[in-house]
Amino acid sequence: MSGGITLGRLTEERKAWRKNHPHGFVARPETSSDGTVNLMVWHCLIPGKANTDWEGGFYPLTMHFSEDYPSKPPKCKFPPNFFHPNIYPSGTVCLSILSEDSGWRPAISVKQVLIGIQDLLDQPNPSDPAQTDGYHLFMQQPEEYRSRVRQQAKQYPSPV
Amino acid sequence: MPFMFMIPPSLLRNSLLYVLQKNYTILKEEDIQERQFEDITKISTVLSIPREAACILLRRYNWSVNNVHEEWFADEENVRRAVGILETPVVKALNFKEVSCGICFERYTINKLRTLACSHLFCDTCWKAYISTSINDGPGCLVLRCPEPCCGAALGQDMIDKLASHEDKEKYRRYLLRSYVEDSRKIKWCPAPGCDSAVEYVVGSGSYDVTCNCSYSFCWNCAEEAHRPVDCETVAKWVLKNSAESENMNWILANSKPCPKCKRPIEKNQGCMHMTCTPPCKFEFCWLCLGQWSEHGERTGGFYACNRYEAAKQEGVYDDAERRREMAKNSLERYTHYYERWASNQSLEKLSEVHSQPESQLKFVIEAWQQIVECRRVLKWTYAYGYYLPEVEHTKKQFFEYLQGEAEAGLERLHQCAEKELMNYLNSEGPSKDFNDFRTKLAGLTSVTRNYFENLVRALENGLSDVDSQAVCNKMSSKTAAGTSKSKGGRGKGSSKTGTSVRNADDSGSWACDKCTYMNARSAAACQVCNHRN
Repeated sequence: MSGGITLGRLTEERKAWRKNHPHGFVARPETSSDGTVNLMVWHCLIPGKANTDWEGGFYPLTMHFSEDYPSKPPKCKFPPNFFHPNIYPSGTVCLSILSEDSGWRPAISVKQVLIGIQDLLDQPNPSDPAQTDGYHLFMQQPEEYRSRVRQQAKQYPSPV
Repeated sequence: MPFMFMIPPSLLRNSLLYVLQKNYTILKEEDIQERQFEDITKISTVLSIPREAACILLRRYNWSVNNVHEEWFADEENVRRAVGILETPVVKALNFKEVSCGICFERYTINKLRTLACSHLFCDTCWKAYISTSINDGPGCLVLRCPEPCCGAALGQDMIDKLASHEDKEKYRRYLLRSYVEDSRKIKWCPAPGCDSAVEYVVGSGSYDVTCNCSYSFCWNCAEEAHRPVDCETVAKWVLKNSAESENMNWILANSKPCPKCKRPIEKNQGCMHMTCTPPCKFEFCWLCLGQWSEHGERTGGFYACNRYEAAKQEGVYDDAERRREMAKNSLERYTHYYERWASNQSLEKLSEVHSQPESQLKFVIEAWQQIVECRRVLKWTYAYGYYLPEVEHTKKQFFEYLQGEAEAGLERLHQCAEKELMNYLNSEGPSKDFNDFRTKLAGLTSVTRNYFENLVRALENGLSDVDSQAVCNKMSSKTAAGTSKSKGGRGKGSSKTGTSVRNADDSGSWACDKCTYMNARSAAACQVCNHRN
């Protein structure tokens, strides 16, 4: 039963995304070599906001939807060891709206999730750190922090 | 030094005045349901709100009708917002315009969609999936809100009744029932396997030992089996120590900490020191010092450190080295001594339980066996008590061992009589003429043993406080103290060789045995119970 909702909703999400999505963002379901589409995994790119240290970077993010979606949130992952106070060493994003126990609601759309993560990039939440490195630099050595962020932006240049 | 031979008179007096009054009530599932129903009715009537809203409110305030009243009348609006009980829903004109469901994005006519008081519309299929996922996730479903982001409207039992499957409704009902017991400060489940009764306890009314209708005796405070005279903290230490041998426990000890509020073990795998326990507990605390998180933050060193923990560590509160020293002192041998005795009493206790099945309707036999079971349990725990009695308290330790030895001997006598001697009567054919004597003896032994153990428990719970006052006296005769039970010394004994003149006789002429404290008839030359000649 829930499988029906999951795929139906993801199909709708995809339609809505193709019709209209924020500039610079990419979000598309995984396509295997034989051309079949797997709606349960989406590969996305999140652009760093203009006029921030994150500008110029296009950060790869994978969204894993479970069969309980949209009752349960998708799991959103950057590459491992992504530099940011609220990203776990595994790359998993720590964000209230993505938390099963508190913030997630089934009516949150893929677009809202991606925009939420883009906001998080340049506005880390110091009350919920997920990695030591990023958190400590952010709190104690802001200059060093900014330089690390700019360095990281260069690692993820525009795909086109 | 008469105190060496019997329980101090002050304690005996207490025991006579001691009245057994039940400070707890056993609740069966129906009773719990009835109370819950009544509480909901009360709130619903007084605040004139629907039952499901009353239920949500009560759950929020740990099922305390008083607290709900207090909070509600202090600031209704604030309570409504916090709990998610919105004022009367916005009435919408029904039209047949198509609107999409906020979850599956399919388009429906408005009358096909459903909403809480907040008017966020979703289709039944999505509501059902949302509710079902939440119920199968655990008791967090009791605090479910609208699926719309940032909407606080609470989802109550009325929606569950309309939309959940039969099986899920049953689960929800169970969570609600469990919440009534588990969130309440006055009720706890009986921990016996398969027993679904709960025990309501009058907090602050003395002994925590309670006996459920299923006949299991447990400590209401810590939910271990009944463990008087040992306090809960010692029991926890002891139980932990015994299980520390097992690999599982070692792992849990090494890798987890109990939630400071609900005590469930928590493993921390990543992230900062700000911990939030899983629902329904949701307690936020600092992983390092286990203090409440609200007192933390920048002041205490941020998210990866804790000044309080560091300071306390400096003072040696968490000093590992100290713990190791302590471990070394409590050498393994010593521990083994106490553990073996504790464990053997445990097995005897089990054995007794098997036999205590009513093989006969003779009440006094059952009473004797019940007494044996209870005494075995108490005796068992005295070994944990002994283990934690500080080595430096020499006098206390000696006195304790004496009392314990006497308790053991007395219990053996009772056990012997109830098991071996009873056999003769069970195997004999036809009524036996000395059966009445046996009855008197066994009943007598039962009552003497009960008294002895009650006094023992109280003496130990008082921390053997009578010992200090007698310490001087004891020091003077410290040589004899070690072997008191077979003592040759002591004033009374000196004269007893010449006759039976010295007795603790009262006005009626009956006398208390100075070994087992049994009150004997004047005519008895030797104690009827233990055959001791005074």
